Amino acid sequence: MASWQGIRVSLLSEVRYLEPIRALLGEATGLAGLGEEDAAQVALAVTEGCANVIRHCYKNRTDKRIDLILTFGDGVFDIRIDDYGTFVDPSRIRSRDLADVRPGGLGVHLMKKVMDEVLYEKNGWGGTSLTLRKRVASRRGRGTGTA
Amino acid sequence: MAMQVKRENVGEAVVVTVQGSVDIYSSPELRAELKGPLGKKVSRLVVDLGGVTFVDSSGLATLIEALQKVKAYQGRMTLCNLSKTVLGVFQLANLDHIFQIKATREEALEA
Repeated sequence: MASWQGIRVSLLSEVRYLEPIRALLGEATGLAGLGEEDAAQVALAVTEGCANVIRHCYKNRTDKRIDLILTFGDGVFDIRIDDYGTFVDPSRIRSRDLADVRPGGLGVHLMKKVMDEVLYEKNGWGGTSLTLRKRVASRRGRGTGTA
Repeated sequence: MAMQVKRENVGEAVVVTVQGSVDIYSSPELRAELKGPLGKKVSRLVVDLGGVTFVDSSGLATLIEALQKVKAYQGRMTLCNLSKTVLGVFQLANLDHIFQIKATREEALEA
């Protein structure tokens, strides 16, 4: 058996492709053993991550490439979003103050709220790799009382 | 699920019913649909999100923008029928305290 267990998919930087990506994530999160609420949170975080790449990194260009690498690990489900733009310094990525109610600036905040870990790294192509990690709770730990 | 938007007049209120995903792809269409009632400065705007399966920060931004416009002309905007998942996104962004949110359309129309 291969040491790496996962799915790799590439998409063009078009926002219309995010809906089918969420459909894929719906199946993948089920495979990872995530519950409905966690699955919805993963879909939200990946949508925000990809939207940020399209909007900020690729400046809404629709001919650029984004790679998604889904990894089924030991008790964790990781989604890595690779872009081929320029590296974004994580210290410059900030969400707005929630008290300052205005449109925009919520994407990073939502990602951080719903995922267990959010990590930005420079990748081998000079762009940014964003890893979103969700811990998979054991079935007994989900509090259904039916284990 | 692709977004669908329907608009109807109920008494003095305009009810905008939204279904499907409200995301970075579809939110410009929702913004365009809201432009009509906001341009006419309707006194009561109800946005029924009962059929919404997914909302992202772009969807939230569209609704925040609408709320700010309604408040600017001293109208009222109410959201209703939010699923647990959609309400959860509003809560994560602390927007459940900013918007008037009702469980049903009837309650929203009476608000």
